[in-house]
Amino acid sequence: MEGVPATVGAPLPETTYLDAIRKGIWEEMEADESVFVLGEDVGAYGGAFKVTRGMLDRFGPDRVLDTPISEAAIVGAAIGAAMMGMRPVAEMQFIDFIACAFNMITNFAASSRYRTGIGVPMVIRGPAGGGVHAGPFHSGNVEAFFLNTPGLKMVQPSTARDAHGLIKAAIRDPDPVLFFEHKLLYRHIKEELTPGDEIIPLGKAALRRQGDDLTIISYGAMVHTALKAASELENDGVSTTVLDLRTLLPLDNEAILAAVARTGKVILLHEATRTGGLGGELAAIIAEEAFEYLDGPILRVTPPDTPVPYSQPLEDAFLPNAGTVTAAARKLLDY
Amino acid sequence: MKRYPAYDPPEYVDWKPEPDVMKGFTATLSREPRRAAVVADLSTDKLMGLYEGMLRFRLHDITLKRWVRQGVLSKAWLGTGEEAVTVGNVHALRAADLVGPMIRNAGACHEMGMPLADLFRAYLGTADQITHGRDIHTGDPRRGVVPPISFVGSLVPVMAGMALAARLRGEKRVALTWVGDGASRTGEFHEGFNFAAVRKLPLIVVLQDNGVALGTPTRTHTRADFTHLGAAYGTASLTCDGNHVLDVLAATSQAVALCREGAGPVLLVAKTFRMGGHATHDEAEARAIFPARLFKTWGRRDPIGMYETWLEQRQQPLMGGRENRQVLAEIEDKVSREVEAGAQEALDSRRDSMPDGRSLREGVFATSDDSTEPAFPPCPVSATGAAAHR
Ligand SMILES: Cc1ncc(C[n+]2csc(CCOP(=O)(O)OP(=O)(O)O)c2C)c(N)n1
Ligand SMILES: [Mg+2]
Repeated sequence: MEGVPATVGAPLPETTYLDAIRKGIWEEMEADESVFVLGEDVGAYGGAFKVTRGMLDRFGPDRVLDTPISEAAIVGAAIGAAMMGMRPVAEMQFIDFIACAFNMITNFAASSRYRTGIGVPMVIRGPAGGGVHAGPFHSGNVEAFFLNTPGLKMVQPSTARDAHGLIKAAIRDPDPVLFFEHKLLYRHIKEELTPGDEIIPLGKAALRRQGDDLTIISYGAMVHTALKAASELENDGVSTTVLDLRTLLPLDNEAILAAVARTGKVILLHEATRTGGLGGELAAIIAEEAFEYLDGPILRVTPPDTPVPYSQPLEDAFLPNAGTVTAAARKLLDY
Repeated sequence: MKRYPAYDPPEYVDWKPEPDVMKGFTATLSREPRRAAVVADLSTDKLMGLYEGMLRFRLHDITLKRWVRQGVLSKAWLGTGEEAVTVGNVHALRAADLVGPMIRNAGACHEMGMPLADLFRAYLGTADQITHGRDIHTGDPRRGVVPPISFVGSLVPVMAGMALAARLRGEKRVALTWVGDGASRTGEFHEGFNFAAVRKLPLIVVLQDNGVALGTPTRTHTRADFTHLGAAYGTASLTCDGNHVLDVLAATSQAVALCREGAGPVLLVAKTFRMGGHATHDEAEARAIFPARLFKTWGRRDPIGMYETWLEQRQQPLMGGRENRQVLAEIEDKVSREVEAGAQEALDSRRDSMPDGRSLREGVFATSDDSTEPAFPPCPVSATGAAAHR
């Protein structure tokens, strides 16, 4: 129509999961001078996945620090700066490399407030997860290593909007937050971000789908697998609830128990390996607090206890998919 | 040698030996009498072996690059322009010695005798090689090649432990591994090298300073001069020209001698340059970030081109009755065919021998089928004298 500006009525541009994280960090850096980023190749190179692209130009080398390949120093320095009131956002190039900073995180940062009252408001973020044939050292899901460490918070968004709102909440949080980004989602999902300062509080799960027969509890990329399984089940007349945890520590027990109470049947779905994974903890919470609502065993759908294999046929067999979820669902529904 | 305009760095496509470059190459040979003596002692077989090894490495990488273009692979990590440092190191070892190459040191695997087909198979994730498709990083214990993990620096303490075990078993073996300039900043490098230093272990750590760690120039991650880094650990530091295969070989021989005398470990600094991206996906980015003059100056110093020129201009014949140039062309022809055949074998495996998803859970723990012998066999006496490579 002539004379009408093209933007009127046009939808807001969609933002990828990756750009949503970038935008969230960027906005926090604009708003709060104490926020800064550090990590390997985060400066001119913009980070291995380009989450920090453009930040060096905008914020300068004092707030966008290219570090040596020294994960213990990256996290240790973030801890020190955080104790001084800064808000560091430390990047692990791949989340697997967080293993090199294990002591700094578990012993120094996590226990600091409890031991001394000194808070460590830092974020450690990085790409997690498989599905891209990147082999055992670039596909990891590390949450279970840290689950047994009191004093840490852990987050993994499954949507672009959540990625944006949760990274902002993580940066503003007074305690150390591990922020896991699923690399498969980086460029594969996008959505419109709501204008304004949408903070998504930590510790709150999100209902992605409401149903009566079965609940699937998941997080990260597996939420999309759960949704796919749920729509396949719907064709068979099964109505499924999908609960996206979003924050893995502390867990939203209320939302978990409410979903289980409604459906009586529950599948715990995650991409991290089985033994000692988050699913075991969720199962224990449900068994302890919602036993009377259950009308079937609590089932876990997870990869088996192997490292993440490199070769495509092996990784395909390793990762849960909609088929493995629906198969578990059918077993449970028959119960 | 044949150039590959579709795959070579642009600086290599019309590569010509420039007089000042070759003058520098020759000057390096006489800079240190002990190294000059090592070089003077090299047999023509050895000289040809170095050429062959570097070509094999280059052509191995070109194959990977071609596969990336064709969509066979999504990425590959190449050693283009850095062939001399890997090949020169390995050719100074004996067959019984141990190497721990990172992915950019693929040449170490084939020069220790691993078939090219197996290196390609590891990339393709086929089931018929040591990793069974479970990892892309590969090695071969029977040939003394330790498979790395992705984590840079991690091999340093591990190789120190292998050197320790070799000594405890009374074996005269040397362990050699590589760290990049970037990897030398890890805690594991420091802890591992210091551990080796206090125990005087026969370990050589080659610090392959190619001026860059992924997308970060060396000066941004390191303030110190690597040349004297060994002093911080109380050990010998040696430096060599990483693009000069004879200097690398001679310096490594010195390091090996120190280790065999019980004066290890040794930090061997090799200055070189990465003529491409961190991997195949970011070559354009690397050229955008790093000064063009770096590619230009280092591009004039193609390690294979320089060495080939030096061999061609050498007065002594490599083989009686033929011109050196002709002998080198025959070597090139042989290696090209070997690489092609290895690639084809691996592609056949990709067609016939991909892992079966049902085997996913196998191999996490030992079963009664697994050998109870050490993965790295004790040093066979016959191996102590033999040259390591092929
Ligand atoms: C502990 C660890 N942190 C981060 C990485 C990611 N990474 C892979 S290679 C690399 C750069 C390595 O640089 P350098 O050691 O100089 O070796 P080069 O690639 O130049 O050969 C980085 C940061 C890693 N592999 N290991
Ligand atoms: Mg380097």
